[in-house]
Amino acid sequence: MQQPQGPTTPSPPPALPDLGLLFDLTPLPLLIISPAWRITRASSRFLTDWHVSAADCIGQQLLSFIESQLLPPRFAHYGRLTTAIDDAIASRAPRISKPISTKHTVSWTARVVPVFNGDELLSIFLEWTESPASSSEEDLELVKPGVSTDEAFRILVQAVKDYAIFLLDTKGRIASWNDGAELLKGYKRHEIIGKHFSIFYGKEDLEIRKPEMELEICMREGRVEDEGWRYRRDGSRFWANVVITAVYKDGVHVGFGKVTRDLTERKSAESRLIAAYEESEKLKSDFLANMSHEIRTPMHGMLSACTLLLDTPLSDKQRDIVNIMDESGQVLLQVINDILDYSKLSSGTFSIHSDIVGITSIVTSVVRSVQATLSPSVDFELFLAPDLPRSVQGDPLRYRQVLHNLVGNAAKFTAKGSIRVRASVQREDETSYVVLTEVTDTGIGIPEAATASLFTPFTQFEATTTRGTGLGLSIAKSLTELMGGTIGYRPNPERHGSVFWFTTRFDKIKTLEQMQNWKKKLVESDVTTTPIQEDEITNLRRELGLVASRKNLLVVEDNVINQKVILGMLRSIGLKNVVLASNGLDAVKIVRGKPAAYDLVLMDINMPVLDGYEAAKQIREAGVYVPIVAMTAYALKGDRERCLEHGMNDYIPKPVDKNRLIKILGKWLLIMTDYRKTFEERLANLKRQHAASLKETPESDKPGLHPHVQTPDLSATSEPTPQPTPDDEDPLSAASAINAQPDTTEEVNGVPAADIDEPIQNDSGAGLDATVSQGPSPSHEPLEDTPKASNSASLDATGPQVPGLEQEPLEAIPKADSGPKLDMMSTQGPLPSEEPVEAVTKAGSGANPDIMGSQEPLPSKEPLEAVAQLAAKPVEGDTPPWA
Amino acid sequence: MPEFGDHVDPAIFEQILEMDEDETRDFSQPLVFNFFEQTQETFAKMDRALAKQDLKELSALGHFLKGSSATLGFTKIRDSCQVIQQYGNELNMDGTREPSQDVCLKKITEAIKTAKHDTADLEKMMNKFFKNSEQ
Repeated sequence: MQQPQGPTTPSPPPALPDLGLLFDLTPLPLLIISPAWRITRASSRFLTDWHVSAADCIGQQLLSFIESQLLPPRFAHYGRLTTAIDDAIASRAPRISKPISTKHTVSWTARVVPVFNGDELLSIFLEWTESPASSSEEDLELVKPGVSTDEAFRILVQAVKDYAIFLLDTKGRIASWNDGAELLKGYKRHEIIGKHFSIFYGKEDLEIRKPEMELEICMREGRVEDEGWRYRRDGSRFWANVVITAVYKDGVHVGFGKVTRDLTERKSAESRLIAAYEESEKLKSDFLANMSHEIRTPMHGMLSACTLLLDTPLSDKQRDIVNIMDESGQVLLQVINDILDYSKLSSGTFSIHSDIVGITSIVTSVVRSVQATLSPSVDFELFLAPDLPRSVQGDPLRYRQVLHNLVGNAAKFTAKGSIRVRASVQREDETSYVVLTEVTDTGIGIPEAATASLFTPFTQFEATTTRGTGLGLSIAKSLTELMGGTIGYRPNPERHGSVFWFTTRFDKIKTLEQMQNWKKKLVESDVTTTPIQEDEITNLRRELGLVASRKNLLVVEDNVINQKVILGMLRSIGLKNVVLASNGLDAVKIVRGKPAAYDLVLMDINMPVLDGYEAAKQIREAGVYVPIVAMTAYALKGDRERCLEHGMNDYIPKPVDKNRLIKILGKWLLIMTDYRKTFEERLANLKRQHAASLKETPESDKPGLHPHVQTPDLSATSEPTPQPTPDDEDPLSAASAINAQPDTTEEVNGVPAADIDEPIQNDSGAGLDATVSQGPSPSHEPLEDTPKASNSASLDATGPQVPGLEQEPLEAIPKADSGPKLDMMSTQGPLPSEEPVEAVTKAGSGANPDIMGSQEPLPSKEPLEAVAQLAAKPVEGDTPPWA
Repeated sequence: MPEFGDHVDPAIFEQILEMDEDETRDFSQPLVFNFFEQTQETFAKMDRALAKQDLKELSALGHFLKGSSATLGFTKIRDSCQVIQQYGNELNMDGTREPSQDVCLKKITEAIKTAKHDTADLEKMMNKFFKNSEQ
């Protein structure tokens, strides 16, 4: 290599050829660049080797030219060149750069020679040398195919013993065979070449055309991987991992490369592990389930003993200690129950029941129960979307369990601020609802790192919060999934705290019939748990006294002493038409004999011949839906559910407390809609009534029949739906018109209502019984409308606070509503006018504020409209109001 | 009703007395004496069942008499009946299984004895009570 001694374009001395020509013809790839790094000259060899023309480079900035020549992923390489140039200039000495890869898959190193005249940089020479192959690790992939390398690879492949590596032609016939393949598959090279590779596959794989499919996929995707059994020459099999790669040469498909590994050992180790894991899981679950039972039994014993101990005279200190024992025991029991649930869930033996679900009543009751444990600085907010269905089909206990867990957690971890529970319909289709329930708190929140494992069993997100088992959320998750929903967490978007939400799929209740069958079961009665207020009882008792003479009861009880006492209690309330049965079988016979005769059945459970559960079941099977109230000494929590399961409607503990009995009777004889009327029939009645009222000229009240004036608050709180008619100013006639609606039957019978009142009101009911027992025909029910006149007289005396509950006229009561006992439910906003039932609940005279969801669902607007209009148009000759 | 001591739950028995009309004991008195008749019949049946070691029958009888004694608020008798019912079902009082029939029979024998004793005591008290109220 020549190093020019002078400036780039010196005038040529006569004895020498033109220096420029010499430079051009030098058989080296040379570049000359100016001090500003612009290319001023390039040798012919350079242009040839770099596949560029003079125009491509002369006058260009060196770096932009080099950059345009680099192999795309190697842009960083030009830094290698600039480093060398900078070094050369700084040291005024030649430097050699590291190799740079150009797009013609050639790597070049530059020898950089700076040319100085004194301190002035005149020019820089770059002499390029093709760098040796694989001079750096990054260039390994750029190794050019060479005979020696190919040979090396061939030997390598051939010699590998742990892998079967071979080539297939495009049709899948075997083209090469290495030692590994021979060892693994047992075929000699000459035996197998030319055979189709499907020879290694088992019968099942061949039946599903697996070999062909693998090649197809491989052609499409370039590669396919599979694990499965492959067969050796001797018929034995091994678990193989197979990778097939499509092989192309110059863009033409020439065949497939196939690599097979024997994973039999790994496979069997895997299955042993899995089996061991499953076995241990099962043992764990079984153990948990067994232990839970074993622990629970003595726990119940201990807790019962605590309860008994608390009933004995104790000093304050002793009482404190026993209370601690009792509370700790309760907590422990909850923990054990959690574990049992968890073990059931994880062993897959947990089942979801299908029953009627009153979402609003469950939500309110959960909130109420948790509220009691809450610190006073925490507010509870409850939002129930107005479109939330009143009742749906699903598992009420599990829904409650999940909600209770989330709300309970929120209460645990929220010291101040608020807890908000919101339930709404997320989606709805023909047959189901997806209900979204959210619990938002302003508590301690969840650290971000913990959110991933929130729903994992046995995790608690903070060491300091070691309360409970850490199973609650995991159980909630499993339950939610069993109910076709999902569960999740997000931070409270407004402030510090958490939002836990879950969705649940509920089926729509399909038929009205189903509704009828279930509506009684829906009753979430607090009758047996809430403290009973005296005046409430007094009112109820008076109201019961008014209707008592025409109510017919069946008491089923085997003990004659108990019979006498219950009869005595009923008599003291005024209920004298009581039939006795001393075992379940008699009861079933009696009810089947007169399916519409009884307004209520009080049923002992443990009886000879046929017990109460079975009797209730048979009565339901006979198609009779008379309310059945279980009387039982069983005080356990599940007993009430068991009664409901067997078709009973309610439960009263023994020994029967009179006030509780009055509440139960009040509910079933006064508040609940009569079972003998189906919804359609009542609707039809309303419509007939309505039609009749339109035809007939309204008359003013007949003072003789109801001389009293209606309670003033009735008109005061009348629904503000103005229906201007001449009778508007008379709220009494409005109310009475509604309440007269069951009386349409009298028109049907051709007997004026007023005439009927007389004979019946002073009757003790004997004659009625005969009438009713003719059959379950609800459209002929003189029972319904009997002693109105006498009742209203008494009502007058009792004053305005008497809401006057009767069976049928419930629809009228909203107008008499005296106000704000809606508690949390009021967040639903103003009562939609198409919801008479809702209104009734609130109007429940304070006697029964908790029967949310227990009311007859009225799926249509019509009845209310009818009522509203009826309210404005009293029927001619209407009877005195309900009272 | 201090005169009955812990034999009687006053709240329950009071409800029974309230069912009397006017100032008489026309309802409660015959009821209570019917109850004592019932106890005698039941004790006789219990003795027979005990002789036959018929635990099931004993449990049923215990339940039966428990019902009426509970209704009247006669707590001591009720509690003995509970014992009889429980061990008749071969269960301990805490609901765990009692494997030994001998233990069950022994417990029942004791409970019947206690119940008879309590019944006799209570009957005397009741006789006195109703006699007083007649005056």
